[in-house]
Amino acid sequence: MKMVTKVAYANMKYHKSKNILTGIAIFLTTLLLFLVPAVGFDSVELQFAVTNKLYPTWQALYRNVDTDTVNRLRAHHDMETYGLRSDVGKIANEEAEISMYYMDETGMELYRIELTEGHVPKEKSEIMVSKGMLDSLGIHAGLGDTVRFPVQKYVGNQLDYIQETEFQICGFLPDSEAALENQTYMALISREYMEEIIPGEEIRYRFLFRVSADERTEIDKLKDQIKGIAGKFGISEAEIGFNDDYLYANYTDPAQLPIICLIMLVIIVAGVITIYSIYYISMTQRIQEFGRIKAMGATRKQVRQIVLREGFCVALIALPLGLAVSTVLLKPLLLYFVNMAGKSAFRQGYEEILRNGECNLYPWWLYLLTCVVALVTVYLSLLHPMQKAAGISEVEAMRYQEKQSGSRERKGYQDLTVGRLAKTNLYGDRKKSVLTILTMSITGMFVMVVATALSCASPSESADSDLYGQYELSLDTESGNQEHPEKEWDRVIANNPLTAELKAQIERLDGVERVETFTNVMVESDLQYQGEIAANQVLGLPESCFEELKKGIVEGKASWSDLLEGDKVIVNKALLYWCPEVKVGDQIQIRIEEEGQMVSRDLEVIAIGDYRFGLTGFCDLIFSKEAADSLLRQDCTGSFQVLAEKKYDAKLEKELQELAASSGLVAMQTWKEKYDFWKNSMNITQIVCIAFLCILSMICIMNLINTMIHSVHIRKKELGMMQAIGMTDAQMAKMLRMEGLFYTSGTLLLTIGAGSILGYPVFLWMKAQHLYSVTHYHYPTEAAVIVVVVMVAVQLLLTTALARSVKKESLIDRIRFSE
Amino acid sequence: MSKIVEVQDLVKYYGSGENLVKAVDHTSLCIESGKFTAIVGRSGSGKSTLLHMIGGLDRPDSGRVLIDGKDIFGLKSDRLAQFRRKKIGFVFQDFNLIPSLNVWENIILPMGLDGRKVPVEEVEEKMEYLGLLGKRKAMPAMLSGGQKQRVAIARALVMNPAIICADEPTGNLDSQSELEVVDLMKKCVRDYGQTLVMITHDEGIAQMADCVILIEDGKVVSQS
Repeated sequence: MKMVTKVAYANMKYHKSKNILTGIAIFLTTLLLFLVPAVGFDSVELQFAVTNKLYPTWQALYRNVDTDTVNRLRAHHDMETYGLRSDVGKIANEEAEISMYYMDETGMELYRIELTEGHVPKEKSEIMVSKGMLDSLGIHAGLGDTVRFPVQKYVGNQLDYIQETEFQICGFLPDSEAALENQTYMALISREYMEEIIPGEEIRYRFLFRVSADERTEIDKLKDQIKGIAGKFGISEAEIGFNDDYLYANYTDPAQLPIICLIMLVIIVAGVITIYSIYYISMTQRIQEFGRIKAMGATRKQVRQIVLREGFCVALIALPLGLAVSTVLLKPLLLYFVNMAGKSAFRQGYEEILRNGECNLYPWWLYLLTCVVALVTVYLSLLHPMQKAAGISEVEAMRYQEKQSGSRERKGYQDLTVGRLAKTNLYGDRKKSVLTILTMSITGMFVMVVATALSCASPSESADSDLYGQYELSLDTESGNQEHPEKEWDRVIANNPLTAELKAQIERLDGVERVETFTNVMVESDLQYQGEIAANQVLGLPESCFEELKKGIVEGKASWSDLLEGDKVIVNKALLYWCPEVKVGDQIQIRIEEEGQMVSRDLEVIAIGDYRFGLTGFCDLIFSKEAADSLLRQDCTGSFQVLAEKKYDAKLEKELQELAASSGLVAMQTWKEKYDFWKNSMNITQIVCIAFLCILSMICIMNLINTMIHSVHIRKKELGMMQAIGMTDAQMAKMLRMEGLFYTSGTLLLTIGAGSILGYPVFLWMKAQHLYSVTHYHYPTEAAVIVVVVMVAVQLLLTTALARSVKKESLIDRIRFSE
Repeated sequence: MSKIVEVQDLVKYYGSGENLVKAVDHTSLCIESGKFTAIVGRSGSGKSTLLHMIGGLDRPDSGRVLIDGKDIFGLKSDRLAQFRRKKIGFVFQDFNLIPSLNVWENIILPMGLDGRKVPVEEVEEKMEYLGLLGKRKAMPAMLSGGQKQRVAIARALVMNPAIICADEPTGNLDSQSELEVVDLMKKCVRDYGQTLVMITHDEGIAQMADCVILIEDGKVVSQS
């Protein structure tokens, strides 16, 4: 072993207590450095593994593709795998939704359709069904049996008359839990049958495919490639469907990386501050030690190497230990998080993959990354101590007897008390005192800022913000869904299910206080973002909402009479994200389709307002209900907002659900659903944040422990002398406690003071970004009390332990002690 | 003259097993009040251990130390500290000043620990007596060895203790300062009527004492 390494190793053993603290700090830093990215990456990997296990594997599909285009697409060099599906018709049934498809074998593979029995339909009369489907039709049949189904084929977008058709069952498909629950089934028929009932030129396919790409391909680039191919074949973008779940599971999403990097940066900063502080504080004590080594002929480089290797020797023990503990903790942590996410098929798959070890949770590169980052953290922490040790002059170091502080006269106190003694000691070493307080406060302030963010995120308030009242019954519309053209808004309002009669029925229910009617009109506007229309809904609100509207105005002015005029509008601030150029006084042109004709109207922006989601939803242009109603002849009622006596009333909810279901195309949202959603999602965030902050706080506490131990250790002789001239044990304990309390109170002052101040802009930012639908500022009282109690308790325990440990050594040994 | 210190059959061991060393071996002696007693002996003879036990800094394995007839080791730790504060002053070879306190604060430290109001004039008189008045605000790092030891003496005298225990107070001083310090201490004993117990290697200093106790292998060989 080289002499430098030998000295470093001997130093590590000699300065045991300091190195144990450094080791704990490195251990905790390693723990965080491994667990944060590991939990992040593994959660995503597991999600992807579940997606890959459960979801179809096609990347995208082109809709409404004719046979000729299918043949040309097949020849495209970027196509890796492709399959076909064609929606032929339906099997009429009142209870269940049974779709009838033709699908080729590759299409079935891409959809992960596996037969439980039999073979795929080849002959014209063959059909593949599921047991659930047969049950819903009340048919008991087995493989090879002949059955008759009421078939409705598609003619364009419409369903034709029912034709009783005879089929022979050639195979069985499995029934998923979701299919059984929702009563949605499918039947697969042969190409021959499809070609028989639909003329060849009218057959339209869904062309399902995968293009050549590896896992490093970015999703946006892949989508651009797919859009590019579509363009070449004259397929419009509206006809492209992306399998986003699959894409995000298998290709790189560049948005993940910066978040993980940011968290790791916070850990590195906390680690560097603590380890640096531990070394810096002990360096003053070791000036002579390094001076002696230099006097014996060590070069500056060698002294630097001694300090560095001592740090790395500690890291060599703490780092593997940190990695081992993190490895053990990782799986239980992931299982804990998944259990918190509630019950779902996805979650079950997640847990199954996790328990069966089907996903590699421990990639080698994560270990390598942790080691490199942890060692870089240690290196950065040691840079200044290394320079300080190497810069010590031999002569100066050998002469060094006592602390250099006090080279100038000091007025001092006329009378001395234990408190003043503590104060003079802290003042005498003010650089160390300030450094300790600052380094601990930085972590403390971070804790308070995160605690503020967590305390502002209240599930109850978020639910209040997301829903105007306690229940919302709104039109169940969907735009551009070829599967459900009946859900297009203009088709729904033609026979609007949100009738006055329904409103009256709701109002009559027990527990309902009142029902507000909101109007929604779908429009086209001249506001665009990246070629797409940015504002496509106009919201009409009743006068009872005006106070809230007025309160939310951040720019401009609006009166109720302005909003009644119909050409003056309040713009939702959310629109500015897409169209930042919009300002008060601008004219916005909207176009409304009425009886096949587009009618234009100019609207003047009289104000910009910042509103909760529950009031405006996705609407960006707001005026009075009366004005919105006058835009179209049809009834444009968009939603009934139900304000109930209780936030949650199971009986009322059931009654409303029944009313919504009986009205058709009416969707219902409840306050309870929103509350549960936020509670669940905030719980996970809270636990992750609290765990992270706890470890970070422990790193910070290492700093306090080091400062106190060091402060007592280097003053062992001084304290012994004070006791020799009459300081009692109680007085010594009191003095140490006061010194500790100084660090604690200084740290708490900065942590609570500056942390609370810094927390407020974070709340404002969250509110502006509508993060967690935060609306009100809540001071993190609990966190502040916990921080104060923990810090004071740690400090008191520490000083008591230190005072006891000092007493273990005899007074005379302490007086004789020299470094 | 009355006896102020009475050491009865004192025993002190260090280490254990094969490394067991008997530092003080069944030693008994008396020290008279108001006298300058020098304890001499070779290095490792146990003289410092004996002085530390007389001053109540170290506890014996057996035997008693009576000061003014009171068994000091019968006192609990905090009571012993209070006793030391009032009755005994210490001067050490390496001064043992508190580096973060200035000269004045170092001197009045025992008073502060006792919770007493500082009699400024009295302390200033002692500082003048020791030639320290101009150094009141100076920090220990600014002082020479001799000056530091004078501060240590002032600190030992400030409470007007009955006994001053000095453990080779001149060991770190040059010959000029050495004589000055011993003269000062003798003068204090004479002027303030205190008892000085000093350990020394120096024969010249020992000759200046009223009584010399010779220690060898932890035992009193002679007392003259």
